[in-house]
Amino acid sequence: MLNNYLPILIFLAIATAVALVLLTLGSTIGRFFAREPADRDKLSAYECGFEAFEDSRMKFDVRYYLVAILFIVFDLEIVFLFPWAVALGDIGVAGLIAMVVFLGILTVGFIYEWKKGALEWD
Amino acid sequence: MPDTMMNLHSIAAAVPEIYLTAAICIVLLFEAFVGAKRPGATGTLTLLVLVVGAALTVAYADVAHRVVLFDGTYVADPLAYVLKLAGFLAVAVALLYSRAYLQNRDILKGEYYVLSLSALLGIFVLISANSLLTVYLGVELLALSVYAMVAFDRESGVAAEAAMKYFVLGAIASGMLLYGMSIVYGLTGTLNLDGIAVALSAPHNLGVILGLTFIVVAVAFKLGAVPFHMWLPDVYDGAPTSVTLFIGTAPKLGYFALALRLLAHGLAGVTVDWTAMLAPLAVLTLVVGNVVAIAQTNIKRMLAYSTISHVGFILLGFVAGTVNGYGAALYYTLVYVLMALGFFGVVILASRKGFEADKLEHYKGLYRRDPLLALAMAMLMFSTAGVPPFVGFWAKLRIIQALWETQHLWLVVTAVVMSVVGAFYYLRVVKLMYFDEAPESLPDTVRSFGVRFALGVNAAAVLVLGILPAPLLDLCARVIH
Amino acid sequence: MLVEILFYIFATLLVAGALGVITARNPVYSVLFLVFCFVNSAAIWLLVEAEFLAIVLVLVYVGAVMVLFLFVVMMLDINLAEIRQGFTRFAWLGWITALAVIAEITGVIWRNGLGGVDVGRGFVSEPANYSNTLELGRVLYTHYAYPFELAAVLLVVAIVAAIALTLRRRPGLKVQDISRQVAVRAEDRLRVVKVSAEKRS
Repeated sequence: MLNNYLPILIFLAIATAVALVLLTLGSTIGRFFAREPADRDKLSAYECGFEAFEDSRMKFDVRYYLVAILFIVFDLEIVFLFPWAVALGDIGVAGLIAMVVFLGILTVGFIYEWKKGALEWD
Repeated sequence: MPDTMMNLHSIAAAVPEIYLTAAICIVLLFEAFVGAKRPGATGTLTLLVLVVGAALTVAYADVAHRVVLFDGTYVADPLAYVLKLAGFLAVAVALLYSRAYLQNRDILKGEYYVLSLSALLGIFVLISANSLLTVYLGVELLALSVYAMVAFDRESGVAAEAAMKYFVLGAIASGMLLYGMSIVYGLTGTLNLDGIAVALSAPHNLGVILGLTFIVVAVAFKLGAVPFHMWLPDVYDGAPTSVTLFIGTAPKLGYFALALRLLAHGLAGVTVDWTAMLAPLAVLTLVVGNVVAIAQTNIKRMLAYSTISHVGFILLGFVAGTVNGYGAALYYTLVYVLMALGFFGVVILASRKGFEADKLEHYKGLYRRDPLLALAMAMLMFSTAGVPPFVGFWAKLRIIQALWETQHLWLVVTAVVMSVVGAFYYLRVVKLMYFDEAPESLPDTVRSFGVRFALGVNAAAVLVLGILPAPLLDLCARVIH
Repeated sequence: MLVEILFYIFATLLVAGALGVITARNPVYSVLFLVFCFVNSAAIWLLVEAEFLAIVLVLVYVGAVMVLFLFVVMMLDINLAEIRQGFTRFAWLGWITALAVIAEITGVIWRNGLGGVDVGRGFVSEPANYSNTLELGRVLYTHYAYPFELAAVLLVVAIVAAIALTLRRRPGLKVQDISRQVAVRAEDRLRVVKVSAEKRS
């Protein structure tokens, strides 16, 4: 079975090699030929020509996380659906019922979050 | 291909879990559609759900023998039946006590009740677990619900901190549990606890000690045994008192079942090893719990350390490693849950809107302000201290008997000495209530009749079960076989 | 043979990445190291022919969970220097504990071995048309139906907990109610008033 994944391994090896070569080239030859490696203006922060106004870290609305967490929950639901779809022919009615119950429970959760307004952005 | 289309009759033993899952869905939908209009309705519905659940459990889950369902991942036996009934009862009483408290702190929301039901489902899953997979799912279901409950009061910084500590340390413990389980699975080749028990009865099983160590650490953490107890006082103290009441009671049933199913059943082949690991933990737990409790000025922290010391006693029942020991541990757990419901209930009733009765000095002169509450608390404290006519005495006696039978003399001595040390701070509460003057005018206690009646029954049960200990003792001895 | 070599390569990278997670000073680097760990674990799972799990690990953990982690770590308003203060004070205790655990694990295996399990036993390779997804699907919804349904409850609890802890309705917010906007009729807004014509003076 692992033979099927041989192309990916080769791809991985080549990608790693290319990345290593580029990094080495950049850090050796590039540094060697650069005229002024540490120019003051080159190292200064660039933000539309101004100095940075403030720290990039700031208080962030917690609703972003809520949306992300809700996404992950339903992402996992899809993960569970995948092997089920592949094996449905073998597992028959028992598998169907198991999945209906599973989806039913999650649908209750979905109705709840919908009614609570967790999906709205007001 | 196994045909898992079971007829409905065969899964009757799993009615508590099936019912509770359906009930969680119904309560959640009720909360989504009605909750915003009527704040208290979800709580009432939840109490109803618990009562119906207990009735259904009595009707369907009272199995005479061990029944294994769902391809070996689920087990129903008399022990599970007793623990599940106790679980329904404990959660119902806890929610009943905490209602006014939730209302006063503006956290009377339907989610609180949904989370307590899902925590109860987690406890049931642990109680009926017969596979490492179900054990883990039960632990996570319970823990996830409880983390959210601790953080439920969003205005409280202390609660958020407690929830954070609980979550981070709990996640580490879950990691330990998983690591230990994966080693055990790798060595035995099965997730099923029956299968593991069979595999470990063969002589060549020494490597399993590695996995066992991690499992023991995780169980000790979940129970709150020293030195894995650090989270417990902070969580008990920081959480809203209603949540302290919740996590101090019903989850103990689940964690007792966790220890019993995992260690005493699945890993029975290496009993010698895990009793050797638990014995020093139990002694440390007893000593640290009782000694540190003396120094506390906050009653929630004091009761938290008292919980730790009781965990020590429960672990001693496991250390005995015999059926009698497990029976004594079961009895102790049930009795402890009953007493914890009572004393945390008193703390809740002594609190009012904008006032937490969480300092010991808030109980000074309670007798003059509210004689009935003081009497209930005094009975509960005497029982917790293990004073004879009360039920706490029998619980301690049983553990000590089990240790005596297995010739653990040093442990008997430690247990007795630490009981005496523990009696000091329990009786100090009684002294504060009856013989000290209240320093300033403290707010009145809660006077709602229903809740006070329930608390009275709770305190009376401690006395009645202490005078007539035989039925519960026999029950515990019977179901553990 | 190739599989063994690959295993050791990926395992070494995994351990190195894990060390990176806990030693990196910047939490963003820690998260990126963790992504690296997950990718290597996925590769190891692939080597034991658990292809579905390997792909799910990359899709769900690297694709979704770690993105959320990065999001939190990069956006959160935390003063790193302040957090780091006092951390190294107890680092020695952590090191001692870690070394003690490592020593104990080594000691147990050294003295007892791994019991009845033959670790050196070879790995039976599956044929090229073997589908790990199918095998998983065959048992997950039948043998393990009970844990499977519990997983659904666990996900619902995650939804409830997330909403209970973060969702906050601000009162007095001015928002459009689109359904009401659409449902509006002319007679709600417009009143046609009959005015009798005035006479010219």
